[in-house]
Amino acid sequence: MENDIIIIEDAHKSFGRVKALTGVSLRVGRGEVVVIVGPSGSGKSTLLRSINHLETLDRGRIVVDGIPLTQAENINRVRAEVGMVFQQFNLFPHLTVVGNILLAQRIVRRRTAAEAEKIAHELLEKVGIPEKADSYPSQLSGGQQQRVAIARALAMQPKVMLFDEPTSALDPEMIKEVLDVMLDLARDGMTMVVVSHEMGFARAAARRIVFMDEGRIVEVGPPESVFTNPRHERTKLFLSRILR
Amino acid sequence: MPDYEAPQTIPKPTTEPGRIARFDPWWLLVFGVVGLLAILIAGKPDPFRRIAVFVTDGIWVTIRITIVSFVLILIAGLIGGLGRIAKNPLIHGAASLYVEIVRGVPLLVQLIFIYYAAPQLLTAIGEGIASAIPALAGPAGLLIGIQLDPFVAAVFGFTICYGAYMSEIYRAGIQSIPKGQMEAARSLGMSYTQSMRYVILPQAVRVILPPVGNEFVALLKDSSLVSAVAVADLTRRGREFMSTTLLSLETWTLVALIYLVMTLFSSRVVSYIERKMSVGK
Repeated sequence: MENDIIIIEDAHKSFGRVKALTGVSLRVGRGEVVVIVGPSGSGKSTLLRSINHLETLDRGRIVVDGIPLTQAENINRVRAEVGMVFQQFNLFPHLTVVGNILLAQRIVRRRTAAEAEKIAHELLEKVGIPEKADSYPSQLSGGQQQRVAIARALAMQPKVMLFDEPTSALDPEMIKEVLDVMLDLARDGMTMVVVSHEMGFARAAARRIVFMDEGRIVEVGPPESVFTNPRHERTKLFLSRILR
Repeated sequence: MPDYEAPQTIPKPTTEPGRIARFDPWWLLVFGVVGLLAILIAGKPDPFRRIAVFVTDGIWVTIRITIVSFVLILIAGLIGGLGRIAKNPLIHGAASLYVEIVRGVPLLVQLIFIYYAAPQLLTAIGEGIASAIPALAGPAGLLIGIQLDPFVAAVFGFTICYGAYMSEIYRAGIQSIPKGQMEAARSLGMSYTQSMRYVILPQAVRVILPPVGNEFVALLKDSSLVSAVAVADLTRRGREFMSTTLLSLETWTLVALIYLVMTLFSSRVVSYIERKMSVGK
Protein backbone atom coordinates (compact mmCIF):
# COMPACT_ATOMS: atom_id res chain seq x y z
CA MET A 1 0.00 0.00 0.00
CA GLU A 2 1.16 3.49 -0.75
CA ASN A 3 2.52 5.58 2.01
CA ASP A 4 0.30 8.54 1.19
CA ILE A 5 -3.17 8.07 2.63
CA ILE A 6 -4.76 10.91 0.63
CA ILE A 7 -3.81 11.51 -2.97
CA ILE A 8 -5.43 14.41 -4.82
CA GLU A 9 -4.50 14.84 -8.45
CA ASP A 10 -5.45 17.78 -10.63
CA ALA A 11 -8.72 18.56 -8.85
CA HIS A 12 -11.10 20.90 -10.68
CA LYS A 13 -14.43 22.15 -9.42
CA SER A 14 -16.74 24.98 -10.46
CA PHE A 15 -19.95 26.24 -8.95
CA GLY A 16 -21.71 27.69 -11.94
CA ARG A 17 -19.23 30.22 -13.30
CA VAL A 18 -17.23 30.42 -10.10
CA LYS A 19 -14.10 28.29 -10.21
CA ALA A 20 -13.49 26.88 -6.74
CA LEU A 21 -10.62 24.55 -7.60
CA THR A 22 -8.39 24.87 -10.63
CA GLY A 23 -5.97 22.00 -10.77
CA VAL A 24 -5.08 21.20 -7.18
CA SER A 25 -2.74 18.32 -6.38
CA LEU A 26 -1.84 17.34 -2.84
CA ARG A 27 -0.60 14.26 -1.04
CA VAL A 28 -1.01 13.64 2.65
CA GLY A 29 1.10 11.01 4.37
CA ARG A 30 -0.01 8.67 7.13
CA GLY A 31 0.05 10.37 10.50
CA GLU A 32 0.67 13.76 8.95
CA VAL A 33 -1.09 16.93 10.05
CA VAL A 34 -1.71 19.40 7.25
CA VAL A 35 -3.23 22.81 7.87
CA ILE A 36 -4.82 24.61 4.92
CA VAL A 37 -4.99 28.39 5.11
CA GLY A 38 -6.13 31.00 2.65
CA PRO A 39 -8.61 33.83 2.13
CA SER A 40 -12.31 33.05 1.94
CA GLY A 41 -13.28 31.80 -1.48
CA SER A 42 -9.83 30.34 -2.03
CA GLY A 43 -11.27 26.84 -2.38
CA LYS A 44 -9.88 25.41 0.83
CA SER A 45 -13.23 24.18 2.15
CA THR A 46 -14.17 22.79 -1.25
CA LEU A 47 -10.91 20.85 -1.34
CA LEU A 48 -11.51 19.44 2.13
CA ARG A 49 -15.11 18.53 1.37
CA SER A 50 -14.15 16.79 -1.85
CA ILE A 51 -11.93 14.40 0.11
CA ASN A 52 -15.02 12.67 1.47
CA HIS A 53 -17.10 13.45 -1.58
CA LEU A 54 -19.42 16.04 -0.08
CA GLU A 55 -18.39 17.89 -3.22
CA THR A 56 -18.04 16.02 -6.50
CA LEU A 57 -15.05 17.01 -8.60
CA ASP A 58 -15.58 18.07 -12.20
CA ARG A 59 -12.19 16.67 -13.12
CA GLY A 60 -9.32 15.03 -11.33
CA ARG A 61 -8.77 12.07 -9.07
CA ILE A 62 -8.91 11.47 -5.33
CA VAL A 63 -7.65 8.28 -3.72
CA VAL A 64 -8.16 7.71 0.00
CA ASP A 65 -6.30 4.84 1.62
CA GLY A 66 -5.96 3.13 -1.75
CA ILE A 67 -9.66 3.47 -2.61
CA PRO A 68 -10.38 5.72 -5.59
CA LEU A 69 -13.36 8.01 -5.05
CA THR A 70 -14.93 7.35 -8.39
CA GLN A 71 -17.43 4.55 -8.12
CA ALA A 72 -20.51 5.25 -6.07
CA GLU A 73 -20.11 2.09 -4.00
CA ASN A 74 -16.72 3.27 -2.80
CA ILE A 75 -18.05 6.52 -1.38
CA ASN A 76 -19.70 5.16 1.73
CA ARG A 77 -16.66 2.96 2.34
CA VAL A 78 -14.35 5.94 2.17
CA ARG A 79 -16.63 8.11 4.27
CA ALA A 80 -16.63 5.57 7.05
CA GLU A 81 -12.82 5.83 7.13
CA VAL A 82 -12.75 9.62 6.97
CA GLY A 83 -14.08 11.56 9.94
CA MET A 84 -15.32 15.08 9.35
CA VAL A 85 -15.80 17.94 11.79
CA PHE A 86 -17.83 20.93 10.62
CA GLN A 87 -17.76 24.60 11.46
CA GLN A 88 -21.39 24.45 12.63
CA PHE A 89 -20.88 21.18 14.59
CA ASN A 90 -23.95 19.61 12.92
CA LEU A 91 -24.84 17.49 15.89
CA PHE A 92 -28.17 15.68 15.59
CA PRO A 93 -30.43 17.79 17.83
CA HIS A 94 -33.03 15.05 18.36
CA LEU A 95 -30.51 12.67 19.91
CA THR A 96 -28.61 12.86 23.17
CA VAL A 97 -24.85 13.22 23.17
CA VAL A 98 -24.46 9.46 23.47
CA GLY A 99 -27.17 8.94 20.84
CA ASN A 100 -25.17 11.10 18.45
CA ILE A 101 -22.07 9.00 18.98
CA LEU A 102 -23.95 5.68 18.82
CA LEU A 103 -25.97 6.15 15.65
CA ALA A 104 -23.42 5.55 12.91
CA GLN A 105 -21.55 2.98 14.97
CA ARG A 106 -24.70 0.89 15.13
CA ILE A 107 -25.85 1.43 11.56
CA VAL A 108 -22.61 1.61 9.62
CA ARG A 109 -20.16 -0.32 11.81
CA ARG A 110 -22.89 -2.68 13.03
CA ARG A 111 -21.60 -2.70 16.56
CA THR A 112 -23.69 -4.05 19.41
CA ALA A 113 -25.30 -1.52 21.73
CA ALA A 114 -22.95 -2.43 24.58
CA GLU A 115 -19.84 -2.19 22.44
CA ALA A 116 -20.90 1.12 20.87
CA GLU A 117 -21.80 2.61 24.23
CA LYS A 118 -18.46 1.61 25.71
CA ILE A 119 -16.67 3.37 22.86
CA ALA A 120 -18.92 6.42 23.22
CA HIS A 121 -18.14 6.79 26.92
CA GLU A 122 -14.41 6.30 26.38
CA LEU A 123 -14.42 9.02 23.74
CA LEU A 124 -16.42 11.42 25.88
CA GLU A 125 -13.79 10.86 28.54
CA LYS A 126 -11.12 11.61 25.98
CA VAL A 127 -12.70 14.89 24.88
CA GLY A 128 -13.29 15.83 28.50
CA ILE A 129 -17.08 15.86 28.89
CA PRO A 130 -18.11 12.45 30.24
CA GLU A 131 -20.77 14.07 32.41
CA LYS A 132 -22.70 15.35 29.38
CA ALA A 133 -23.47 11.89 27.98
CA ASP A 134 -27.23 12.18 28.44
CA SER A 135 -27.62 15.87 27.61
CA TYR A 136 -29.08 17.12 24.38
CA PRO A 137 -26.88 19.20 22.05
CA SER A 138 -28.97 22.32 22.72
CA GLN A 139 -27.98 22.10 26.39
CA LEU A 140 -24.25 22.31 25.59
CA SER A 141 -21.97 25.24 24.89
CA GLY A 142 -20.47 25.58 21.43
CA GLY A 143 -17.13 24.24 22.56
CA GLN A 144 -18.76 21.22 24.16
CA GLN A 145 -20.84 20.59 21.06
CA GLN A 146 -17.75 20.66 18.88
CA ARG A 147 -15.99 18.21 21.18
CA VAL A 148 -18.98 15.87 20.93
CA ALA A 149 -18.79 16.22 17.15
CA ILE A 150 -15.13 15.20 17.29
CA ALA A 151 -16.01 12.21 19.48
CA ARG A 152 -18.79 11.25 17.08
CA ALA A 153 -16.36 11.21 14.18
CA LEU A 154 -13.69 9.35 16.18
CA ALA A 155 -16.18 6.64 17.15
CA MET A 156 -16.00 5.35 13.60
CA GLN A 157 -12.27 4.82 14.14
CA PRO A 158 -11.39 6.78 11.03
CA LYS A 159 -7.98 6.73 9.43
CA VAL A 160 -8.19 10.40 8.55
CA MET A 161 -9.88 13.34 10.27
CA LEU A 162 -10.98 16.40 8.32
CA PHE A 163 -11.66 19.64 10.15
CA ASP A 164 -13.53 22.42 8.34
CA GLU A 165 -12.90 25.61 10.30
CA PRO A 166 -13.71 23.83 13.57
CA THR A 167 -13.28 26.89 15.80
CA SER A 168 -14.68 29.66 13.58
CA ALA A 169 -18.18 29.49 15.08
CA LEU A 170 -16.93 29.45 18.66
CA ASP A 171 -16.67 32.18 21.26
CA PRO A 172 -13.00 32.97 21.94
CA GLU A 173 -12.94 31.37 25.38
CA MET A 174 -14.07 28.04 23.94
CA ILE A 175 -11.58 27.82 21.13
CA LYS A 176 -8.81 26.49 23.33
CA GLU A 177 -10.78 23.50 24.65
CA VAL A 178 -11.41 22.35 21.09
CA LEU A 179 -7.84 22.98 19.95
CA ASP A 180 -6.53 21.04 22.94
CA VAL A 181 -8.53 18.01 21.86
CA MET A 182 -7.19 18.40 18.33
CA LEU A 183 -3.62 18.70 19.60
CA ASP A 184 -4.07 15.48 21.57
CA LEU A 185 -5.29 13.77 18.45
CA ALA A 186 -2.30 14.99 16.49
CA ARG A 187 0.05 13.70 19.18
CA ASP A 188 -1.68 10.32 19.03
CA GLY A 189 -0.63 10.13 15.40
CA MET A 190 -3.97 10.79 13.70
CA THR A 191 -3.78 11.89 10.09
CA MET A 192 -5.46 15.29 10.00
CA VAL A 193 -6.33 17.81 7.34
CA VAL A 194 -7.42 21.05 8.96
CA VAL A 195 -8.84 24.19 7.41
CA SER A 196 -8.23 26.80 10.06
CA HIS A 197 -6.63 30.12 10.77
CA GLU A 198 -5.54 29.14 14.25
CA MET A 199 -1.85 29.84 13.83
CA GLY A 200 -1.01 28.58 17.30
CA PHE A 201 -2.43 25.20 16.46
CA ALA A 202 -0.74 25.21 13.07
CA ARG A 203 2.66 25.93 14.59
CA ALA A 204 2.24 23.34 17.30
CA ALA A 205 0.77 20.48 15.31
CA ALA A 206 1.17 20.92 11.57
CA ARG A 207 3.95 19.31 9.64
CA ARG A 208 2.99 21.29 6.58
CA ILE A 209 1.04 24.45 5.87
CA VAL A 210 -0.80 24.67 2.56
CA PHE A 211 -1.61 28.20 1.42
CA MET A 212 -4.40 28.40 -1.13
CA ASP A 213 -5.67 31.31 -3.17
CA GLU A 214 -8.13 31.47 -6.07
CA GLY A 215 -8.56 27.74 -6.31
CA ARG A 216 -4.85 26.87 -6.37
CA ILE A 217 -2.17 25.89 -3.96
CA VAL A 218 0.22 28.83 -3.86
CA GLU A 219 2.71 27.60 -1.33
CA VAL A 220 3.39 24.51 0.75
CA GLY A 221 5.95 24.14 3.52
CA PRO A 222 6.64 23.64 7.21
CA PRO A 223 4.91 26.20 9.45
CA GLU A 224 8.07 28.05 10.47
CA SER A 225 9.14 28.74 6.90
CA VAL A 226 5.66 29.59 5.55
CA PHE A 227 4.77 31.83 8.48
CA THR A 228 8.09 33.57 9.03
CA ASN A 229 9.50 33.54 5.56
CA PRO A 230 6.79 33.20 2.90
CA ARG A 231 8.11 33.04 -0.63
CA HIS A 232 5.06 34.42 -2.42
CA GLU A 233 3.68 37.94 -2.34
CA ARG A 234 0.14 36.71 -1.89
CA THR A 235 1.09 34.57 1.07
CA LYS A 236 2.87 37.54 2.65
CA LEU A 237 -0.11 39.79 2.13
CA PHE A 238 -2.54 37.26 3.57
CA LEU A 239 -0.37 36.48 6.58
CA SER A 240 0.20 40.15 7.32
CA ARG A 241 -3.55 40.54 7.54
CA ILE A 242 -4.27 37.65 9.84
CA LEU A 243 -1.13 37.62 11.95
CA ARG A 244 -1.20 41.26 13.04
CA MET B 1 -33.23 -1.48 6.51
CA PRO B 2 -30.68 -2.60 9.08
CA ASP B 3 -31.83 -4.62 12.04
CA TYR B 4 -31.31 -1.65 14.23
CA GLU B 5 -33.84 -0.37 16.66
CA ALA B 6 -34.70 3.29 16.16
CA PRO B 7 -33.29 5.37 18.98
CA GLN B 8 -35.65 6.90 21.46
CA THR B 9 -36.22 10.23 19.81
CA ILE B 10 -38.66 11.82 22.18
CA PRO B 11 -36.92 13.25 25.23
CA LYS B 12 -38.44 12.67 28.61
CA PRO B 13 -40.70 15.55 29.59
CA THR B 14 -38.90 17.84 31.94
CA THR B 15 -41.38 19.57 34.18
CA GLU B 16 -39.97 22.82 35.38
CA PRO B 17 -40.07 23.17 39.13
CA GLY B 18 -43.07 25.06 40.45
CA ARG B 19 -45.01 24.85 37.23
CA ILE B 20 -48.31 23.06 37.42
CA ALA B 21 -49.52 21.42 34.23
CA ARG B 22 -51.49 24.10 32.45
CA PHE B 23 -55.17 23.53 31.78
CA ASP B 24 -55.87 24.47 28.21
CA PRO B 25 -58.93 26.80 28.22
CA TRP B 26 -59.86 25.57 24.76
CA TRP B 27 -60.89 22.28 26.30
CA LEU B 28 -63.73 24.30 27.85
CA LEU B 29 -65.04 24.99 24.37
CA VAL B 30 -65.02 21.28 23.57
CA PHE B 31 -66.90 20.50 26.76
CA GLY B 32 -69.25 23.42 26.16
CA VAL B 33 -70.28 22.14 22.74
CA VAL B 34 -70.64 18.60 24.05
CA GLY B 35 -72.81 19.98 26.86
CA LEU B 36 -75.01 21.87 24.41
CA LEU B 37 -75.48 18.69 22.40
CA ALA B 38 -76.40 16.76 25.54
CA ILE B 39 -78.88 19.42 26.59
CA LEU B 40 -80.56 19.42 23.17
CA ILE B 41 -80.81 15.63 23.06
CA ALA B 42 -81.94 15.21 26.66
CA GLY B 43 -84.14 18.27 26.86
CA LYS B 44 -85.94 17.92 23.56
CA PRO B 45 -85.76 14.25 22.60
CA ASP B 46 -88.21 14.88 19.81
CA PRO B 47 -86.69 15.53 17.31
CA PHE B 48 -83.07 15.78 18.54
CA ARG B 49 -82.79 12.33 20.01
CA ARG B 50 -84.37 10.86 16.89
CA ILE B 51 -81.91 12.70 14.69
CA ALA B 52 -78.96 11.64 16.80
CA VAL B 53 -79.97 8.00 16.71
CA PHE B 54 -80.57 8.18 12.98
CA VAL B 55 -77.15 9.69 12.13
CA THR B 56 -75.04 7.71 14.60
CA ASP B 57 -73.90 5.12 12.06
CA GLY B 58 -72.96 8.05 9.80
CA ILE B 59 -70.67 9.41 12.52
CA TRP B 60 -68.77 6.15 12.56
CA VAL B 61 -68.49 6.13 8.79
CA THR B 62 -67.11 9.67 8.89
CA ILE B 63 -64.56 8.75 11.56
CA ARG B 64 -63.55 5.55 9.80
CA ILE B 65 -63.13 7.18 6.44
CA THR B 66 -61.11 10.01 7.95
CA ILE B 67 -58.73 7.77 9.88
CA VAL B 68 -58.22 5.16 7.17
CA SER B 69 -57.63 7.87 4.58
CA PHE B 70 -55.30 9.79 6.85
CA VAL B 71 -53.01 6.82 7.43
CA LEU B 72 -52.77 6.28 3.68
CA ILE B 73 -52.30 10.03 3.12
CA LEU B 74 -49.34 10.07 5.48
CA ILE B 75 -47.72 7.28 3.46
CA ALA B 76 -48.60 8.80 0.06
CA GLY B 77 -47.33 12.18 1.22
CA LEU B 78 -44.01 10.73 2.36
CA ILE B 79 -43.49 9.02 -0.98
CA GLY B 80 -44.54 12.15 -2.87
CA GLY B 81 -42.43 14.42 -0.68
CA LEU B 82 -39.31 12.29 -1.10
CA GLY B 83 -40.02 12.27 -4.84
CA ARG B 84 -40.24 16.06 -4.89
CA ILE B 85 -36.76 16.41 -3.39
CA ALA B 86 -35.22 13.58 -5.44
CA LYS B 87 -32.27 14.47 -7.66
CA ASN B 88 -33.34 11.97 -10.31
CA PRO B 89 -35.22 14.14 -12.86
CA LEU B 90 -37.65 11.35 -13.73
CA ILE B 91 -38.76 10.79 -10.13
CA HIS B 92 -38.80 14.51 -9.43
CA GLY B 93 -40.80 15.16 -12.59
CA ALA B 94 -43.35 12.44 -11.85
CA ALA B 95 -43.85 13.66 -8.28
CA SER B 96 -44.17 17.30 -9.38
CA LEU B 97 -46.64 16.39 -12.12
CA TYR B 98 -48.76 14.50 -9.59
CA VAL B 99 -48.79 17.40 -7.16
CA GLU B 100 -49.56 20.01 -9.82
CA ILE B 101 -52.40 18.05 -11.43
CA VAL B 102 -54.08 17.08 -8.18
CA ARG B 103 -53.85 20.56 -6.73
CA GLY B 104 -55.52 22.02 -9.79
CA VAL B 105 -58.71 19.91 -9.67
CA PRO B 106 -61.39 20.33 -6.98
CA LEU B 107 -61.63 17.50 -4.48
CA LEU B 108 -65.32 16.93 -5.16
CA VAL B 109 -64.64 16.57 -8.88
CA GLN B 110 -61.83 14.07 -8.14
CA LEU B 111 -64.09 12.00 -5.92
CA ILE B 112 -66.86 11.92 -8.49
CA PHE B 113 -64.35 11.12 -11.22
CA ILE B 114 -62.91 8.16 -9.31
CA TYR B 115 -66.28 6.73 -8.38
CA TYR B 116 -68.28 7.31 -11.56
CA ALA B 117 -65.85 8.02 -14.39
CA ALA B 118 -62.71 5.98 -13.62
CA PRO B 119 -64.43 2.56 -14.02
CA GLN B 120 -65.56 3.61 -17.51
CA LEU B 121 -62.07 4.79 -18.33
CA LEU B 122 -60.57 1.48 -17.18
CA THR B 123 -63.18 -0.46 -19.17
CA ALA B 124 -62.30 1.52 -22.29
CA ILE B 125 -58.58 0.89 -21.71
CA GLY B 126 -59.20 -2.81 -21.11
CA GLU B 127 -61.26 -3.14 -24.27
CA GLY B 128 -58.66 -1.22 -26.24
CA ILE B 129 -55.85 -3.51 -25.09
CA ALA B 130 -57.92 -6.64 -25.67
CA SER B 131 -58.78 -5.72 -29.23
CA ALA B 132 -55.28 -4.44 -30.07
CA ILE B 133 -53.31 -7.31 -28.53
CA PRO B 134 -55.52 -10.41 -28.31
CA ALA B 135 -52.79 -12.24 -26.37
CA LEU B 136 -53.35 -9.84 -23.46
CA ALA B 137 -57.14 -10.22 -23.50
CA GLY B 138 -57.05 -12.20 -20.23
CA PRO B 139 -55.31 -9.64 -18.03
CA ALA B 140 -56.98 -6.75 -19.87
CA GLY B 141 -60.37 -8.28 -19.02
CA LEU B 142 -59.69 -7.53 -15.37
CA LEU B 143 -60.00 -3.82 -16.13
CA ILE B 144 -63.45 -4.18 -17.67
CA GLY B 145 -66.51 -3.60 -15.55
CA ILE B 146 -64.80 -2.76 -12.29
CA GLN B 147 -67.31 -1.45 -9.77
CA LEU B 148 -65.65 0.36 -6.90
CA ASP B 149 -67.09 0.13 -3.43
CA PRO B 150 -68.08 3.72 -2.52
CA PHE B 151 -66.03 3.61 0.67
CA VAL B 152 -62.95 2.37 -1.18
CA ALA B 153 -63.41 4.97 -3.91
CA ALA B 154 -63.69 7.71 -1.31
CA VAL B 155 -60.59 6.60 0.57
CA PHE B 156 -58.72 6.33 -2.71
CA GLY B 157 -59.81 9.82 -3.75
CA PHE B 158 -58.79 11.38 -0.44
CA THR B 159 -55.44 9.61 -0.50
CA ILE B 160 -54.64 10.93 -3.94
CA CYS B 161 -55.82 14.46 -3.29
CA TYR B 162 -54.61 15.01 0.26
CA GLY B 163 -51.47 13.00 -0.54
CA ALA B 164 -50.46 15.77 -2.93
CA TYR B 165 -50.89 18.47 -0.31
CA MET B 166 -49.16 16.27 2.24
CA SER B 167 -46.24 15.81 -0.19
CA GLU B 168 -45.67 19.53 -0.10
CA ILE B 169 -45.78 19.55 3.69
CA TYR B 170 -43.23 16.75 3.88
CA ARG B 171 -41.05 18.45 1.29
CA ALA B 172 -41.07 21.74 3.15
CA GLY B 173 -40.40 19.94 6.43
CA ILE B 174 -37.45 17.99 5.06
CA GLN B 175 -36.02 21.07 3.38
CA SER B 176 -36.30 23.04 6.60
CA ILE B 177 -33.69 20.78 8.20
CA PRO B 178 -30.26 22.40 7.74
CA LYS B 179 -28.13 20.91 4.96
CA GLY B 180 -25.38 20.21 7.47
CA GLN B 181 -27.48 17.47 9.07
CA MET B 182 -27.49 15.39 5.90
CA GLU B 183 -23.81 16.14 5.34
CA ALA B 184 -22.89 15.09 8.86
CA ALA B 185 -24.86 11.86 8.50
CA ARG B 186 -23.34 11.10 5.11
CA SER B 187 -19.85 11.94 6.32
CA LEU B 188 -20.27 9.23 8.95
CA GLY B 189 -20.76 6.70 6.18
CA MET B 190 -24.55 6.44 6.38
CA SER B 191 -26.42 5.99 3.10
CA TYR B 192 -28.98 8.49 1.85
CA THR B 193 -31.83 6.27 3.02
CA GLN B 194 -30.29 5.71 6.43
CA SER B 195 -29.63 9.43 6.85
CA MET B 196 -33.24 10.22 5.96
CA ARG B 197 -34.60 7.52 8.23
CA TYR B 198 -32.52 8.22 11.33
CA VAL B 199 -31.48 11.87 11.07
CA ILE B 200 -33.67 13.97 8.77
CA LEU B 201 -37.18 12.52 9.13
CA PRO B 202 -37.23 12.36 12.95
CA GLN B 203 -36.46 16.08 12.95
CA ALA B 204 -38.79 16.90 10.06
CA VAL B 205 -41.70 15.18 11.82
CA ARG B 206 -41.58 17.75 14.59
CA VAL B 207 -41.56 20.58 12.11
CA ILE B 208 -44.51 19.30 10.09
CA LEU B 209 -46.67 18.26 12.99
CA PRO B 210 -48.74 21.50 13.11
CA PRO B 211 -49.57 21.54 9.37
CA VAL B 212 -50.19 17.79 9.42
CA GLY B 213 -52.62 18.30 12.28
CA ASN B 214 -54.38 20.99 10.29
CA GLU B 215 -54.69 18.60 7.39
CA PHE B 216 -56.35 16.05 9.66
CA VAL B 217 -58.98 18.54 10.76
CA ALA B 218 -59.49 19.72 7.18
CA LEU B 219 -59.89 16.11 6.05
CA LEU B 220 -62.45 15.46 8.75
CA LYS B 221 -64.53 18.31 7.37
CA ASP B 222 -63.92 17.49 3.72
CA SER B 223 -65.04 13.93 4.39
CA SER B 224 -68.57 15.31 4.12
CA LEU B 225 -68.00 15.44 0.36
CA VAL B 226 -68.23 11.66 0.20
CA SER B 227 -71.98 12.04 0.62
CA ALA B 228 -71.88 12.83 -3.10
CA VAL B 229 -70.51 9.40 -3.97
CA ALA B 230 -73.04 7.26 -2.13
CA VAL B 231 -71.16 6.85 1.14
CA ALA B 232 -73.57 7.00 4.08
CA ASP B 233 -71.52 9.36 6.22
CA LEU B 234 -72.79 11.86 8.76
CA THR B 235 -73.72 14.45 6.14
CA ARG B 236 -75.57 11.98 3.94
CA ARG B 237 -77.46 10.54 6.88
CA GLY B 238 -78.45 14.06 7.85
CA ARG B 239 -79.72 14.69 4.37
CA GLU B 240 -81.70 11.46 4.42
CA PHE B 241 -83.30 12.38 7.73
CA MET B 242 -84.14 15.84 6.49
CA SER B 243 -85.73 14.59 3.27
CA THR B 244 -88.14 12.33 5.15
CA THR B 245 -88.99 14.72 8.00
CA LEU B 246 -88.32 18.14 6.49
CA LEU B 247 -86.82 19.25 9.83
CA SER B 248 -83.97 21.23 8.21
CA LEU B 249 -83.08 23.55 11.07
CA GLU B 250 -83.00 20.86 13.75
CA THR B 251 -81.18 18.31 11.59
CA TRP B 252 -78.41 20.60 10.41
CA THR B 253 -77.98 22.23 13.79
CA LEU B 254 -77.30 18.83 15.26
CA VAL B 255 -75.10 17.68 12.39
CA ALA B 256 -73.05 20.88 12.54
CA LEU B 257 -72.64 20.51 16.32
CA ILE B 258 -71.45 16.92 15.92
CA TYR B 259 -68.85 18.00 13.34
CA LEU B 260 -67.80 20.82 15.64
CA VAL B 261 -67.25 18.42 18.53
CA MET B 262 -65.10 16.18 16.34
CA THR B 263 -62.97 18.98 14.88
CA LEU B 264 -62.50 20.80 18.18
CA PHE B 265 -61.55 17.55 19.86
CA SER B 266 -59.05 16.59 17.16
CA SER B 267 -57.38 19.98 17.10
CA ARG B 268 -57.02 19.79 20.89
CA VAL B 269 -55.40 16.38 20.57
CA VAL B 270 -53.09 17.69 17.85
CA SER B 271 -51.87 20.59 19.93
CA TYR B 272 -51.40 18.26 22.90
CA ILE B 273 -49.14 16.02 20.80
CA GLU B 274 -47.29 19.08 19.53
CA ARG B 275 -46.56 20.20 23.07
CA LYS B 276 -45.41 16.71 24.06
CA MET B 277 -43.02 16.52 21.15
CA SER B 278 -41.52 19.96 21.52
CA VAL B 279 -40.45 19.29 25.11
CA GLY B 280 -36.68 19.11 25.53
CA LYS B 281 -36.03 20.63 22.13
